Amino acid sequence: MANYFNTLPLREQLNQLGVAEFMDISEFADGVSALKGKKIVIVGCGAQGLNQGLNLRDSGLDVSYALRKEAIEQKRDSWKNATDNHFTVGTYEELIPTADLVSNLTPDKQHSSVIDAVMPLMKQGATLSYSHGFNIVEEGKQIRKDLTVIMIAPKCPGSEVRAEYLRGFGVPTLIAVHPENDPQGKGLAEAKAYCVGTGGHKAGVLRSSFVAEVKSDLMGEQTILCGLLQTGSILSFDKMIEKGIEPGYAAKLVQYGVEVITEALKQGGITAMMDRLSNVAKIKAFEVSEELKTIMRPLFQKHQDDIMSGHFSRTMMEDWANGDKNLLQWRAATGETAFEKTPAGDVKISEQEYFDHAVFMVSYIKAGVELAFETMVEAGIKPESAYYESLHETPLIANTIARKKLFEMNRVISDTAEYGCYLFDHACKPLLADFMKTVDTDIIGRNFNEGKDLAVDNQALIAVNEAIRTHPVEKVGAVLRKAMTAMKAIKTA
Amino acid sequence: MTDTFVHIAQLNLQYAQQVVLDQLDWQIHRDEFWQIGGKSGSGKSALAKALAGLEKTSGTIRIHFDRESSRPPRVLYVSNWYQFTNLEGDRNFYYQQRYNKQQKNDTLTVYAELTAYANSENLSMENLTPYLDLFGPADLKNTQLIELSSGEHKKLQLIKALWLKPQLLIVDEPYTGLDKASRQKLNDFLDGLAADGVQLVLVTNETDLPRCINRFAEIEDGKLKQVDSAWMLSKDISRTPKELPQFLREEPAFSGDLLVEMENIHIRYGEKQVLSGVDWTVRKGEKWLLQGPNGSGKSTLLSLITGDHPQAYANHIRLFGHRRGSGESIWEIKERIGLISPELHWYFDKTASVWQAIASGFYDSIGLFRHVSYEKQQKIRQLLAFFDLTADKDRLITTLPLGKQRLVLLARTLIKNPPLLILDEPCQGLDQSQTALFNAVVDELCGFGKTLIYVGHYETQLPSCLEKRIVLEKGEVQVIEEINELAY
Repeated sequence: MANYFNTLPLREQLNQLGVAEFMDISEFADGVSALKGKKIVIVGCGAQGLNQGLNLRDSGLDVSYALRKEAIEQKRDSWKNATDNHFTVGTYEELIPTADLVSNLTPDKQHSSVIDAVMPLMKQGATLSYSHGFNIVEEGKQIRKDLTVIMIAPKCPGSEVRAEYLRGFGVPTLIAVHPENDPQGKGLAEAKAYCVGTGGHKAGVLRSSFVAEVKSDLMGEQTILCGLLQTGSILSFDKMIEKGIEPGYAAKLVQYGVEVITEALKQGGITAMMDRLSNVAKIKAFEVSEELKTIMRPLFQKHQDDIMSGHFSRTMMEDWANGDKNLLQWRAATGETAFEKTPAGDVKISEQEYFDHAVFMVSYIKAGVELAFETMVEAGIKPESAYYESLHETPLIANTIARKKLFEMNRVISDTAEYGCYLFDHACKPLLADFMKTVDTDIIGRNFNEGKDLAVDNQALIAVNEAIRTHPVEKVGAVLRKAMTAMKAIKTA
Repeated sequence: MTDTFVHIAQLNLQYAQQVVLDQLDWQIHRDEFWQIGGKSGSGKSALAKALAGLEKTSGTIRIHFDRESSRPPRVLYVSNWYQFTNLEGDRNFYYQQRYNKQQKNDTLTVYAELTAYANSENLSMENLTPYLDLFGPADLKNTQLIELSSGEHKKLQLIKALWLKPQLLIVDEPYTGLDKASRQKLNDFLDGLAADGVQLVLVTNETDLPRCINRFAEIEDGKLKQVDSAWMLSKDISRTPKELPQFLREEPAFSGDLLVEMENIHIRYGEKQVLSGVDWTVRKGEKWLLQGPNGSGKSTLLSLITGDHPQAYANHIRLFGHRRGSGESIWEIKERIGLISPELHWYFDKTASVWQAIASGFYDSIGLFRHVSYEKQQKIRQLLAFFDLTADKDRLITTLPLGKQRLVLLARTLIKNPPLLILDEPCQGLDQSQTALFNAVVDELCGFGKTLIYVGHYETQLPSCLEKRIVLEKGEVQVIEEINELAY
């Protein structure tokens, strides 16, 4: 199969990359009616599969689950998830032929084989939906011409999709229709109806394309979710140990610090995160982040270039074919890092301390988020798409690190994200080696403000604030966050 | 003095601009067992927490622990809310999560939780048995914390405290959510503890107390004021009856006769049968009392009516004339129901103001995400006035005393004038005078074609409009009957 993106002329590549329209809630006035009375069959019942299905059913739609025969016979977790919640469960052969809409919510890696099994069973004129476009765009899977292909991608973990729905809200969602597969012109109406069924329309919906979603998602996954935080966590921890900070304290400062710091990011962007620092610390963080951006920019560009050319997905799929040799080896190495092996100490760290004692981490997160955003936009991805795949994702993954640290975080995220995370991490650490020699405990481990006269030069502060606040990620972020202000704050105490 | 156990002098505590405790003095002697009561918002819980070292105060607090005693030299404060975590130490649970089954989303089992507690506190599991008598889930090993009802959580919290036997035990609203039988047992246990050398402070306005309680006090103007008995504690000023706003005097828009029809309901989680063979019909205008011991399935039964339980799709249920699973959304169901429950309160949006909390009732959401029209704002204004909440409208709901929080939630359920009101232990944690006030309002409201399902444990503390009773026991219907005489 040929990489779909690479088969397109440049004009069409730019055209599809540039689809990013933030939709008004009034566009969802038809509710779920486009899918009312139709049969929705979800393939796969993991976190996304189950929780999307629960929401769709609670919105009055007819939902059942098609699982592989082995999953049913062996009563695997996916079977238990579906039957414990009293859904109809059947094999592909039993359920797919009855479906008006088949929603493929299996892991990326299985998409190709799942589609091969499902497609011949689908009835004429039915709809196939995805929540990630890798299979279509990178693997270049050709879908039967009578079928409609759509995407509904909630930008949050499955449990949150359910939690937000039950409180009467939703999570931000990307929707798309594949231009090669919309024979009846019903794609958009069904994608919108599905989105309403999951509650996504209440939290802001971005009309995207398969191409834009994949090329930005892969970039976001690798550089932000989760390479950036992995590298930042390890560098911060190792530096503190090198400088004699108590290991239990260092482990806790990093593990929970990323969550506390990015909670400010989630609520008010980079501006809010930087505003949590004192003025002197903010100026210092700004300087450090500028330096980091200069050093890391070529790496971000290489990642984006490899994603655009298809080089990244090709080598990753080679590793899949090779039994995940690289992936498993890298995963094992992550389990062996000192940060991973040091339990968080039983010390009380106040919320403000996580900022004051980790100016480096704040600088590093700022640098990474801005770089990811800038690099994506330079490559032709629209700011709205770039925002969701950079700033928006950071707190979500930080939350996973706070709960599970790196090894488990890597297991929880998709294999695609995990593979990219290691690629980034392994290239980024050597790149920063020289810089890290200049870092001391004033910016990681101890209170930066301690013993300092906290006075700053007016002009210097004004210039720094101006630079932070006028960055394009802040401008688009202000608009998109307004639509999701009601999202629940993650408890950080 | 050698028999002084606690010595508090010149204690000050302030929340923002509000002085809560002002130069408060308090001595607790070894033979004294205290009840702290009085008006809501007077500072009872603040004092209790300060005594446990959980508040930032100025002044003196000295506790003379008995170094000879085998009881741990500690102060344990049992709060009026419970809290628990999942296996990852995460407290981010969501509303009604306990009904949504997902593999690998586990919390500890009750048994594992108690074992972990025994290890960290050096307690012996062998001594646990008598306390479990108070609690009694049949299946400790397999019941997960998230599956417990609110009453069962309260019991677990109490068991831990009783089992630990600290030298000073402070229990804030000990009877919240407990069924009648457990309440008497708890008093007996507390008497046993007192005889065993545990000093007790109970924060409550109840009069049915352990026999050992022999000192009674309340807080007035930030100072401790002793009174002669539990009956002498100050009551909240009773509300002057007001005329119900016009929009609540209109009959709710529902033309059918049957609101709820349930046939042979069965709900189970794995091996645990929660409801079995339940038949129940609720007709328009009926006023039902739903009762049963903690863990008997009351909240689960109600969650089937409110659209919160996924297993509703596998049972024969008709709501407002429509079969569940026939294409209705849960929001269409919720639109016709006004709900208060301990769970809803527990998961309620902590950042909502009183006004926002009431407004969110129009949309049945936890949190307000939409613009509120002029006509709706007028209704909110009328309800605020009716409940004497106008002055508090911009305050965060969490900063109000519990009694007022419940009135806000009641206002939230009423704002859309729903045909069916479901009040699941709406007075949990309220004292008798607050409860009486709340129930008087419920009686006023129910005169205009509304249908009511009310859950309450104590016969003396119910609205007088109730006319039918359904009692659950271990997931089965034990009684369905007319209520002729409520006052026992």
